[in-house]
Amino acid sequence: MKQKWGKKLKYFLLAPFLFILLVGCNDQNSTDSSEGVKEIEFFNQKPEISRQLEELANTYSEEHEDVNITITTIGSGEGAAGLQAKFTSGNPPEIMMLGGTSEIDRYQDTLLEVNDLEVTDTIMEDLLEGALIDDSLLAIPMNVEGFGWMYNKEIFKKAGIDPDSIKTFDDFKEAVEQLDSQKEDLDIQEVFAFSGAEDYIANQFSAHFTSPEFDHSILEAYEASELNWEYGDRMKAYTDLFNQYNVQPILGVNYSQSVEELFINNQVAMVHQGNWIVPTLNGIDSDFVDEKLGILPVFGEEDESAKIVAGAPWYIGINSDIDEDVKEVAMDFVDWMYLSDTGQEVLVHQMQLIPPQEGYDVESITDPVSQKIYEEMLNENTSAMAHNQYPDGWFQLVLFPEFQRYLDGYSTWEEFEKNTSEGFKEMREQ
Amino acid sequence: MNTKKENLSYWLFLIPSLIAVITVILIPLLYGIYTSFTNSDGFNMDFVGLENYQQLFSDSQFIESMWFTLKFAFVAVIGVNVIGLGFALIVTQKLGKVTTFFRTLFFTPNLIGGLILGFIWQFIFNRAFVGIAEMTNLDFFNGWLSDPTTAYWGMIIVFLWQMSGYIMLIYIAFLSKIPYEFIESAQLDGANAFQTFIYIKLPLLAPAFTVSLFLTLANAFKVYDLNLALTSGGPFRSSEMVAMNIYNTAFLQYKQGYAQAKGVVFLVIIILISVAQIYFTRQREVDLS
Repeated sequence: MKQKWGKKLKYFLLAPFLFILLVGCNDQNSTDSSEGVKEIEFFNQKPEISRQLEELANTYSEEHEDVNITITTIGSGEGAAGLQAKFTSGNPPEIMMLGGTSEIDRYQDTLLEVNDLEVTDTIMEDLLEGALIDDSLLAIPMNVEGFGWMYNKEIFKKAGIDPDSIKTFDDFKEAVEQLDSQKEDLDIQEVFAFSGAEDYIANQFSAHFTSPEFDHSILEAYEASELNWEYGDRMKAYTDLFNQYNVQPILGVNYSQSVEELFINNQVAMVHQGNWIVPTLNGIDSDFVDEKLGILPVFGEEDESAKIVAGAPWYIGINSDIDEDVKEVAMDFVDWMYLSDTGQEVLVHQMQLIPPQEGYDVESITDPVSQKIYEEMLNENTSAMAHNQYPDGWFQLVLFPEFQRYLDGYSTWEEFEKNTSEGFKEMREQ
Repeated sequence: MNTKKENLSYWLFLIPSLIAVITVILIPLLYGIYTSFTNSDGFNMDFVGLENYQQLFSDSQFIESMWFTLKFAFVAVIGVNVIGLGFALIVTQKLGKVTTFFRTLFFTPNLIGGLILGFIWQFIFNRAFVGIAEMTNLDFFNGWLSDPTTAYWGMIIVFLWQMSGYIMLIYIAFLSKIPYEFIESAQLDGANAFQTFIYIKLPLLAPAFTVSLFLTLANAFKVYDLNLALTSGGPFRSSEMVAMNIYNTAFLQYKQGYAQAKGVVFLVIIILISVAQIYFTRQREVDLS
């Protein structure tokens, strides 16, 4: 009797194995088709807005009973790999946030042309360029971001510098020297806290000087087969300046030290950053942004005009490989996000994004820096986000290491220009 | 008849794990080897033959990463085993509760994941060290992670910190298996503690060396999380280990075929080194029974 039990027990033990096996083989799609509910997956690459996006999706799903929108968020540099994994797994999202022209290009065969979307007509003309692949518009810009030297107005004021009087690079240099000479009175550690430890900061910084070479056109930048550093001397002048007056060792300064410690605590006067730090700053000190935060443009091209780099780093694309009725819903959701009052309110106030559309009242945008960027964007007085158009991996694997080498004195500027140009050409060819 | 039934249940039990191994390890491995002959970008792929492998030899960054990894593994393996054995000898002394306390203490770092450990140490190098530098005016403590040489030693220190406790456990197990008669008779013959260690314990620990060396070698070669969290290859890719180099090729440049080729070469190198290591350390093992 006992023996029999022992034998049976064996098969009982086997059961869970088989169960796992069978469950593992279960097809995912079978869960999707619960009686006419249209499932939409929105692939998000910006973790900082995932909560607001989810709320937005819920509001929409509540208004439309037959629609269920889920938000998948993978971000912080891993978004692109995450999206690719989604595609290779055969379960691509219906709506996806795409990081610039190269990603749109990669997925062009599965992206819907978005000319028919209502929102498309309201978008700033300049921004659409980045989503044009072979003359078809495959995505709409998600938002506008801009960057330059973020400065502390209070420190400038105390030092007796009027930011509006900075008309040339030499003026800027003078202002920096003036700040440096009063370091003790101003109670600051150094003038700059440029984060030499972050690859994307070096990448963004370079855009001031590569955008003019590409005629401030992101499409031209995307198609460029080489980069000759026509404005490299200006980049060198800026680099030498901030490296001299920066918190050292510059290669050890990371984002959180630069922004969340030194800049917000009035320990430095300037950091190279963009409007995306506003929510973070607000979270630490709610008065800082309104009272102290300003943005200085960069003399990247010539001495007469300084520009902020601004554009759309993120685009929203719709999967063309899905059922017609689901497609309709996806298009409607994107329109609703940008055109309905609810959508606009969430976009501008809760996500604190700068809208990619014309026709917003400048005052309605939440903070002074974002207002300035929006205004400059409308006046078409910005440099293009050329840094998003470099060959894949170039900024992480070539530009950033070479820039670090220069900052640390391991190589000369000529070597920097030469090595990065060669890398650019080589990686563009592949 | 009975054997037939036994056979059936044998295979029934084996099948789940067999399927798992085949689908999760074997098929991806073969597919990966195939991919290494293509120009796959993860989306489209065409067969290109040996082009990727040819390209490897002129890829100076990959060769540098390989060198860095070899240098790292060499020092790390020796360091981990020396420290691990040292710890094991300390905590096998009969000192009562103190030894249990130290066993736990030495093992604790191994319980923390590599990523978190990396960030903790990043803080130590970037802040605590700089704090010491400011207090003592010693430039030695400044900017450890922003200099190639110190970044290398930084990686080594953290790896030793993480792995030594684990390897200690293996040595403890083998040390406590050494029959006490051997040690006692050595002592009766007048051997001091050092002599007992060199002539009795060390030869009998040979199997422990086989296991620990294998584990540390494999681990040292495959480090990725620690590398990412601590230096992420910086400054200027000088501390980029092979695993990270492969990841970057695959997911920053989207050259997945090329990355696979690197992976295959890396795999072959690891196999060669590990097999050679096992072959040589096995020879030193003594059979007690």
